[in-house]
Amino acid sequence: MLTVALDAVTTAAMLFIIAAGLLIVFGVMKIINFAHAAFLTVGAYAALVGAHLNLPWFLVLPLAFVAGALCGGVTEIVIVRRLYKRPLDAILATWGLGIVLGQLITLMFGREVQFVQAPISGTVHLFGADYSAYRLVMIVAAVILGLLFTGLLNGTRLGLSTKAVIMNEMLAQGLGVDSSRVRLITFALGSGLAALSGALITPLSSVDPNMGVPWLIGAFMLVMVSGGSLLALAGSCAVLGTLQVLVSTFVNPILGGLTIAICAAIVLRIRPEGFARA
Amino acid sequence: MPPLIVPALLVALAAAVILVAPLLLDTYLVNILVRACFVAIAAITVDIMWGYCGTLTFGQSAFFGIGAYALAIMFTEYGFGTWQIFAAIGAAVAVAAAVAAFTGWLSFYPGSTPLYASVISLVVPIVLVQILYSGGTFTGSSSGLVGFESFDLEIETWLRLAGLGLLATAVLALVVMRSDTGRLLSALRDNDSRCTYLGIDTSRLRIVVLVLSAIVSALAGFFYAGFGAVAAPENASFAFGTNLVIMVALGGRGTVIGPVIGALCIEVASAYLANSLPYVWELIVGLALIIVILVFPDGLLGAVMRLVKRGRSAVATTILQPAIAATAVSNPDAVAIEVRALGKHYGSLAVLDGVQFTAYRGELLSLVGPNGAGKTTLIRCLSDGRERSTGNVAIAGHDIARLPPDRVVRFGLGRKFQTASVFETLTVAECLRVARTHADPPALTSRSATLALPPAAMSVVERSGLGERLDEEARNLSHGLKQALELAMVLSLEPDVLLLDEPTAGLTRAERQGFADILTTLARRDRLCILLVEHDLDFVREISSRIIVLHQGRLALDGSVDEVVNSELVREIYTGQHVSHAEVPA
Amino acid sequence: MNSRLLTTSLALALAATTLSPAFAADPIKIGVPVGLSGANSVVAPSVVQSAELAVEEINAKGGVLGRKLELEVADDASGAAGAQKAFDALIFQKKVNVLISMETSAARNAGLPIVARGKTPYIYTSFYEGKSCSPYLYVNAWVPDQQVPPIVDYFNKEKKAKNYFLIGSDYAFGRGMLAFTKMYIEKTGGKVVGEEYLPMDGSDWTSIISKLKASGADALITSTAGGAPNVTLTKQLRAAGVSLPYGNLAVDEGTAKGMGADAAGIYLSASYVTGIDTPANKTFLASMAKKFGAELKTPNDLSVPQYEAVYAYKAAVEKAGSTDQDKVLKALAEVSVDGPRGTIKMDKQRHAPLTMYLGQVQPDGSVKVIQSFKDVDPGAQCPGKS
Repeated sequence: MLTVALDAVTTAAMLFIIAAGLLIVFGVMKIINFAHAAFLTVGAYAALVGAHLNLPWFLVLPLAFVAGALCGGVTEIVIVRRLYKRPLDAILATWGLGIVLGQLITLMFGREVQFVQAPISGTVHLFGADYSAYRLVMIVAAVILGLLFTGLLNGTRLGLSTKAVIMNEMLAQGLGVDSSRVRLITFALGSGLAALSGALITPLSSVDPNMGVPWLIGAFMLVMVSGGSLLALAGSCAVLGTLQVLVSTFVNPILGGLTIAICAAIVLRIRPEGFARA
Repeated sequence: MPPLIVPALLVALAAAVILVAPLLLDTYLVNILVRACFVAIAAITVDIMWGYCGTLTFGQSAFFGIGAYALAIMFTEYGFGTWQIFAAIGAAVAVAAAVAAFTGWLSFYPGSTPLYASVISLVVPIVLVQILYSGGTFTGSSSGLVGFESFDLEIETWLRLAGLGLLATAVLALVVMRSDTGRLLSALRDNDSRCTYLGIDTSRLRIVVLVLSAIVSALAGFFYAGFGAVAAPENASFAFGTNLVIMVALGGRGTVIGPVIGALCIEVASAYLANSLPYVWELIVGLALIIVILVFPDGLLGAVMRLVKRGRSAVATTILQPAIAATAVSNPDAVAIEVRALGKHYGSLAVLDGVQFTAYRGELLSLVGPNGAGKTTLIRCLSDGRERSTGNVAIAGHDIARLPPDRVVRFGLGRKFQTASVFETLTVAECLRVARTHADPPALTSRSATLALPPAAMSVVERSGLGERLDEEARNLSHGLKQALELAMVLSLEPDVLLLDEPTAGLTRAERQGFADILTTLARRDRLCILLVEHDLDFVREISSRIIVLHQGRLALDGSVDEVVNSELVREIYTGQHVSHAEVPA
Repeated sequence: MNSRLLTTSLALALAATTLSPAFAADPIKIGVPVGLSGANSVVAPSVVQSAELAVEEINAKGGVLGRKLELEVADDASGAAGAQKAFDALIFQKKVNVLISMETSAARNAGLPIVARGKTPYIYTSFYEGKSCSPYLYVNAWVPDQQVPPIVDYFNKEKKAKNYFLIGSDYAFGRGMLAFTKMYIEKTGGKVVGEEYLPMDGSDWTSIISKLKASGADALITSTAGGAPNVTLTKQLRAAGVSLPYGNLAVDEGTAKGMGADAAGIYLSASYVTGIDTPANKTFLASMAKKFGAELKTPNDLSVPQYEAVYAYKAAVEKAGSTDQDKVLKALAEVSVDGPRGTIKMDKQRHAPLTMYLGQVQPDGSVKVIQSFKDVDPGAQCPGKS
C-alpha cells in the first residue's frame, strides 16, 4: 500500500516535470507544441553528450536546458511566430518540426538505444519499504520546479508581463508589454523545460530518437485539463497520476497507460474548463 | 447545362485513364497505386473534416483500421464467402459509425475548441491500437491478421476498381462540397459561433460529418485490407493518421483534388525512396510540411489555383427573390423578452444581480451604462441559456431554460455581435443562404441560383448596396458593409427579438443614419422588439422608445428617453459630462 | 509515361554495369526486406552485414550454379505497411529469386500474401513466437519451444525457483513467448504468481515493478519489445533494487553490453553467442571483422541465422539444379548447412532443431555460457505439414 502511494506521488512528479514546459507555452500562446516530445529528446541527448564529456550531473542539467531553450527560441522565430493567428497550423508545423528533429537526431546519433548512468542509484529505506532513490529525487525536482516557476511568475517583471499576456493580451499590449518578446521567451523557456525534463528522466528511461513520444499524449491531456494554470497542473498530475497508478496496479497496466487520456477527455467533456478554477 | 460539360469530360477522361493505366504500368507500380488509391480516399475524408469543416483530425486512420479489421476478423473467423463480405461491410460501417458518433460526442459540444477536438482525434487511434494489441489471436495483436482468404481478383482489376472508387469518392466529395450544403460546412469552419446564433446546431452537424467521413474511411480500409489480405495495427495508427494530414496539407486542403494528388504522390514517392533512404525521406517530408504550412498554407494545389484565379473576377449570378411572406404578426404588442431576477456570478464576483425587465414587440429598447456594467454579459445571458447563474429568461413566451444559443434562436431571437461576424470566405449570397438554413434546407448536390429573403433582410440588402455585390467574398467588404451583411443575416432568421451590441461603432455618419432608419422601420413596421447596447447617447435618444440603465451589474433605471437622460442617477454616473452630446465615458 | 519501359531500360543499364566476365548468366537475386527504420533499425545493419559477407564469400567461390548472387535490400519500416511496399518492390519490381530476412512478425505476416502471389521462397531468419506456416516459408531461427526450457529448467534446478513472475510488452512476440513460458513453468511444477504487460512503446514500469516486489516471486522472466522497453525495464528494476534471478527472453549481447552494470546477472538463452568455441564461428567472426573493420556491427542471434540462410539457399539451389521455385522449396527441407551455430537443417515442419546456449551477463557486459543444449527440437510448429 505504501509502495502504491509512493508510486502515485513519484508518477505525479514525473508527469508534472514533463508537462510543465508544455503548459506555459499553452498558457501564453494558446497552442499545443507538438514538438514538445522532440525537445524532450533533445534534452536527453544533451545529457548523453554531457555524460560522454564527463560533466558532473549538476552541469548536465543546465546544458540540457540551454540546448532546449536554443532550439525553442529558433523555432519561435522561424516557425511559431508566423502562425499565432492559425493555431491549428501551428500544431502541424510543430509536428513537422518534431519529425525533422527526430530524423536529425537519428542521422547524428544513430537509431540505437543509448545509455546514461544515473547519478543516484539503488534504493532508500523509507517508512518500512525499499524504494527507488532516483524516483524520490523526482519529487524534489518537481517541487523545486514548481516553486521556481511560481517565483518567476509572481516575483519578476517578466513573470508579471507573462501573466498579463495570459490574462488579456490586447490590454497587456496597451499597457506597453512587448508581447512578442514575452512569447519568444516563453517558448524558449517551455522548450528548455522540455529538454530539462528529458535529461531528468534519462536515468529511468532509455535514450533513443523516439523516447519522447510515449509521454506526449499524457502531457497534452494534462495541459488541456489544466487550462494554463500551474496549480491546476499540479492538481491534475496528482489526481490523474494517482488514478493511473491505481488502475495499473489493480486493473492492468495497459489500461493504466490509457487512463490519463481517457479520464481527461471525459472530464473535459463534462466540465469544459477542466480542473482550472476548480 | 453547358457548364457541366467540361467537368463531365474531365471525369470521363479520368475514368478512361484509370481503365487503361493497368495495361501500361508494371506490376510493382500497379500494386503501389492500388494501395495509394485507398489511402487517397481516406485523405479525402481528412480534407472534408479539416479543409472544409475546420477540424484538424489525426484520427481518420482509426476508422480506416476499423474497416480493415472488420474484413480481416470476419474472413479469419468465418472464412471467405458472399454473406461474410456483406456482414464484414456491415460491421465496418456500423462500428466506424458508432465509434465516430462517440468521438463526435466527446469532441463537439457547444463551447468545445478546435484544439480540443484535435487532441481527442489523437487519442482515438492510440486507444484503438492498444485494444488491437491486447486482442490476442482475435486481432492478431502487433502482428496483425494475415493468412485469411480474400477477394481473388487480378491486380489490374484491383487497380481499376480502386481507381474508379477513388474517382467516384472525389467526384461525390467535390459535388457535395461545392453545393449549398458544402458552403454551410465552410461557414462552420469560418465562424462556428455565428452559425450557432443562426440557429444551426453546429455540434450535431460536425458529428454527422464525422460519422459519414468515418464510414467512407472505413470502407477504404476495408478494401485496402481486402487487397493486401493483411490487417495490421499500423493501418489504424496515429502515425498513419498524421500521414494523411500531411498528404492533405501538402496537396492543398479544402480542394479534394489536392489531397488526392498529395496522397498518390507521397505513396508512390515513398515506395521508391523510403525503401532505400528511410530517414532522409522522413526528413524531407517533415521539412516539406513546415515549408508548406508557412509559405503555402493552402497547399501546392491551392497555390496554383490562386495564380490561375487571379485574373478572373466574380460574375454575379445569384438572383434575389422575396421569400414567401411569413404569417402576419398575430399579436403586435405581445411580450417579447421577459427577464426575472437574473444574476451572473464568477465565483464571489457578481457581474449581474437581480436584473428584471419586460420588453414588448414594437419597442426599441436601449441598454446603456458605463463599461463593465454588464451590458454585453446581459446580452449573452439572454441569448444563451447556459450563461446565467440565477433567474429566468423567456423569449417570445418561451422559457430559454439552459438551452444553447441555436435553440434559443429558434424561439425567435436574433443576435448581432459587436464586431461584424460574418463568414469571411463565403460570398455575400452564400452568407445569407447559410442564414436561411432553417427555412430553406440547403441542397446536397447543387447550388441554388436564387436566394429568397424575407422583406426585412431584403430591404437591408438593397438599401446598403449589398445587392450589387452578392457574389463577392465577405472578406472583401468594407467594415460598414460587413455590419450590414451581419444584420441582414440575422434578419433572415425572421426574428421577433433582435439583440444588437454596439451596431454603429466605427460607422460613418451616413451609415449610422441609414442604420437608424432601418432599425426604426423594423420596430414600427415589422413589430420587432429591438434591444440595443449603445454608447452613443445621441443615437440612443434619436431612436429609442425606452432606455434601461445598467450600473454595477444592477438595473439602475428603466424608463422613457426623457426620464432617463434627465435623471439624477444618470447625471451622477456620468458626472462632469454634458451628457446629451457626449459619448458615455469609459 | 511508360514506366515499364523506364524500369526495363534501367534494369538493362544496371545489368550491363554489374555483369562481370566470370558470370555469364543472370545473377540470382536475394531480396532482403529488413527494418532499416522503426523498431528493428538497431539490429538491421548487422543483419545486412552478415548477408553481405555470405554473398561475397559465395561469389568469390564461383557463385551458385555458375551464377552470381546479388543482394537487394529494402526497408520494411519494421511494420506491416512498410513490409507490403518492400515485398512488392522486391518480388514484382526487382524480381528476386528468394527472400531471406530478419523481420518483425508484423512485417513477415504482411509479406506472406505477397510471397504467395509471387510464389517466391522465403527464409525467415528471426526468432519469433512460432506457428507461422506457409508453403513458401522456412525458418532457421528459434521458437519458444527451443528458447524457454533452458532458462526455466535452470531456474527450477539451480535456483530452486517455484514462483515465477512474468513481464512482457503487449505484442505478439511478448504475449506468445510468455504464454509458452507459463505453460512450460506449470508443466515443470512451478507456479506463475503474476503476469503483466505494458504497451509496446510503454516506458513506465512503476506499477508492475511494485507488484513484482509484492508478489513474493523467486524468479523473474521478461519478454519485452527489443530496445527501449527492454532497457527501461531493466534500469527501473535495478533502480527499485530487484535482485531476483532474472531471465530475459529478449535481450541480446549487444544491448546487454550497452546497459552496463544494470544488465549484470541477467540470464539469456540464445542459439548464437559470440563466445561459441568452434572453428566455424571463429572463422566467421574473423571474416566479418576483416570485411567491415571499424564499421562492424557485432554479430548476434539475429544476424548469424541470416548468414546461414544464404548458404541454405545456395545448397537448395544446387540440390535442385535450378532456381525453380517448387524445386527449391522442396530442397530447402533437405539440405543442411554447417555454420557458426553448427549444423542446421530445416526439416521439422519447415523449422530447424537448434543448439541452444544458456548465458549470463557478466559485470563487464560480456556473456558467459553456462550450459548448452544440443539440437533442441522446435516442436510441432506446423502440424499436418511436413
